[in-house]
Amino acid sequence: MAASRVRPLPVTGYTNLNALGSTRAEILDALAAGRSGLAPPSEEFGFTTMVGEVRTELPGLTGELAPWSTRIASMAGKLAADLEEPLRLARKRWRPERIGVFLGTSTGGAVSTERAYRHFVAEGALPADYNFQRQHTFSSLLHVVGELTGARGPAWMVSTACTSSGKPLATAQRLIAADIIDAAIVGGMDTLCALTVLGFSALQAIAAQPCRPFCKERSGISLGEGGALALVEREGEARVLIEGVGETSDAYHISAPHPQGRGALGAMEAAMAQAGCAADEVDHINAHGTGTQLNDGAEAQAIATLFGDRVPVVSTKGYTGHTLGAAAAIECLFAAYAIEEGWIPPSLNSEPFDSDMGIQLNTTLLKGDFKRVLSNSFAFGGNNVSVLLRAP
Amino acid sequence: MSSRANDPSRVGIAGYGLWMPGYADVATWLSGTPDDEVVKPLGLALDSKNRRRASQLGRSLSDALTAAMTQADVDVSTTPTVVGSAIGEAVTLVGLLSQIWGAAEPASPAAFSVSVHNAAAGVISISNKNQGFSSALSADCDTPATSLLEAVGLVATTGAPVAVVCGDEPVPTDLVPADVGWQLQAGAMVLVPLDGEHSCLAQLKVTLGGAPDLSPAAFSDEAQARNPQAGMIDLITAVARGQRGVLRLDRGAGRGYCAEITPAPGS
Repeated sequence: MAASRVRPLPVTGYTNLNALGSTRAEILDALAAGRSGLAPPSEEFGFTTMVGEVRTELPGLTGELAPWSTRIASMAGKLAADLEEPLRLARKRWRPERIGVFLGTSTGGAVSTERAYRHFVAEGALPADYNFQRQHTFSSLLHVVGELTGARGPAWMVSTACTSSGKPLATAQRLIAADIIDAAIVGGMDTLCALTVLGFSALQAIAAQPCRPFCKERSGISLGEGGALALVEREGEARVLIEGVGETSDAYHISAPHPQGRGALGAMEAAMAQAGCAADEVDHINAHGTGTQLNDGAEAQAIATLFGDRVPVVSTKGYTGHTLGAAAAIECLFAAYAIEEGWIPPSLNSEPFDSDMGIQLNTTLLKGDFKRVLSNSFAFGGNNVSVLLRAP
Repeated sequence: MSSRANDPSRVGIAGYGLWMPGYADVATWLSGTPDDEVVKPLGLALDSKNRRRASQLGRSLSDALTAAMTQADVDVSTTPTVVGSAIGEAVTLVGLLSQIWGAAEPASPAAFSVSVHNAAAGVISISNKNQGFSSALSADCDTPATSLLEAVGLVATTGAPVAVVCGDEPVPTDLVPADVGWQLQAGAMVLVPLDGEHSCLAQLKVTLGGAPDLSPAAFSDEAQARNPQAGMIDLITAVARGQRGVLRLDRGAGRGYCAEITPAPGS
C-alpha cells in the first residue's frame, strides 16, 4: 500500500470563544485595539494572578442533553451552534457518518470533579447531581457535539495537554486521506479550574501580573479558558487551507521544554515539509509564547534557527491567557484572521523585548499580505504541534 | 467504495502485547491460568526516572507496548505511538484533589506534571528517546477502536508502522460506586502497511458498525470485562488465536465499532 498524499485541507467555517468575546467582531476589535481580556479571577486562590475568563453568556444544554450541561459542555454547545451555517451546507454534501468529530481538551470535566470533590470533603458525599461519566469523562463532549451537529462519523478526544486542540487538524487530514471520512469538526475547549491554577503555581510558572511573552522581564503564564471549532472538508469553499501539520516529541522532560527547542523546531520543519514550502515562504508566526523563561527561550531559539529575525512573531497569550487544551485551536484561528484580514496584532506586555531571542517580535498592529502563517503549540510530555495555514 | 486490495484503511497487525493482573503476556493469557505473582506492572522499558514518575497505568501501557514492538521488530525510537485511555490519569488527579482539598496541602508539582492525560505517552517517548509522533486519545468504550483508527490514518499517510496501546486504571472509588468499576488493563498492537515489505500476522479493518460474528474473550472476572479497553484485549485474543471474522470492539457499550480480521497466509 502506497502512502496517501495529505493534501491541503479547506477550512470552510470556524468559530472562536475566549476572554475577548465570542463573535468575530468582538475578537477582532480587541486584537486591533491591543485590548487584553485578562482580569483578576472570580475565585480567590490566595495569591495574585490574572486570568482570561470567558464572560460570554453560555446557555445551558436543554432537553435530552440537559444532564450533560457542564460549563465546558455549554462552551461546546455554544461553539457548535455558532458553526451551524457552514455545517448545514456540509450536511448536504456529505453523509452524516462521513463527518467526523475530533476535539481536544486538557482538563475536560475536571472542574466538575473538582467541585464535586470539594463537596465530598465538606459533606462526606458527592453532590447528588454529579455523574462521573457525563461530567468528568472527555467522551461527554463528543456526545454533546455529535448530537448538536448531526455528525455521526468517527469521533474522539485528543488530550495531549496544551497541544490537544491542534492535533485534531492532523487527524482530519489523515482520515480524509485514508478515505474514512469526508469532513470533520475539529478544535477543542478548556475551562479554568482551581486545580490547574494551583498546579501551575506549584510549578512556580504563574505570573502575578498579565503575562509578558518574550519580554526580558517575563515571569510566567496567565491562565485562560475558551474554545474553537473549525469545519474542514475534502472539498469546499475554503476560508483558509490547512497546508501542513507537524507533530513531534521532545523526548526530553515531562514538563520542561528542550532547552534549544528541538521538538519545536522539528514540528515547524515537519509542517513546512508536508506543505512543500520553504522557510522564506512563511509570512508570520503565532507563537506558543506563554511568557515563562524556559518556554519562550526554547521557542525563540527554534524560530530563530529556521527564520532568523525575518518573520514577524506574535504571542496572543496576553489577550486570552493560556487556554491550555484550547490554545492550539484558538490560536490557529488567530492565524486565520491574519490571512483573511491582512493585519496582525501587537504582542501585549512584551516590552522591553528580550533582544537575546534573535526573533522579530511584533509589538504594533502590522498590516501586510500574510499568505502563509504558522501557529505553534507545545505541551507537557514534550508534545509539540505546529500548524501551517495558507490563503486559498 | 475502495476495492479490498487498494483500501487505504486496511492495515496489517505485526505484533501485540497485553498486561492485566495475573497476565503479563499474551501466552499466559491464552493459557487461561493466571500467574499469581503478576500483581503490578513493572514498566521495565521505562528509564528509572520515568518509571518512578509513571502511574500504574503508565507502567502497564509500557509493558504491553514493549511486547508488541518487540514482536513486530520495530524501532522504538522512531515508531509513532498512539496511546488510548478512557479516564487517563484520573487516579493521579484525585490524589491531587485529596491533597489540596482533603489535606489542605499545596499541590505537588511533580504530581501535577503527570496528571495530564498524555503523561504515559510522555514518559514512554522520553524513555524510548522517540522524537516523533505521539498522541493520547479518549473515547470511553470506543477508545480501542478510535485509537486503532488514528493509527490507521497514520499508516495510510506515512506508509510506516505505527504502535497503538490502550489501557485504563480502575476508576477512583471516591468518584464511582465500586460495583461499576474495573481492574487495570492494557493492550497494544503494531500496525503496518499492507505493502508486501512488512510481514504481518493478520489484516485489520476497523469500521463504525458491522455484523460481528466473533465472540469476545472470556474474562473470569466481571470487573475485567467492564474495563473500557476490554475490546482491545478481545481483538488481541482473536488475532493470537488466528481467528477470522468480525469482532465488536466495545462489548456493546459504545457506538458499535467493529474489527474485521483476516489471518495472514502462513501466520
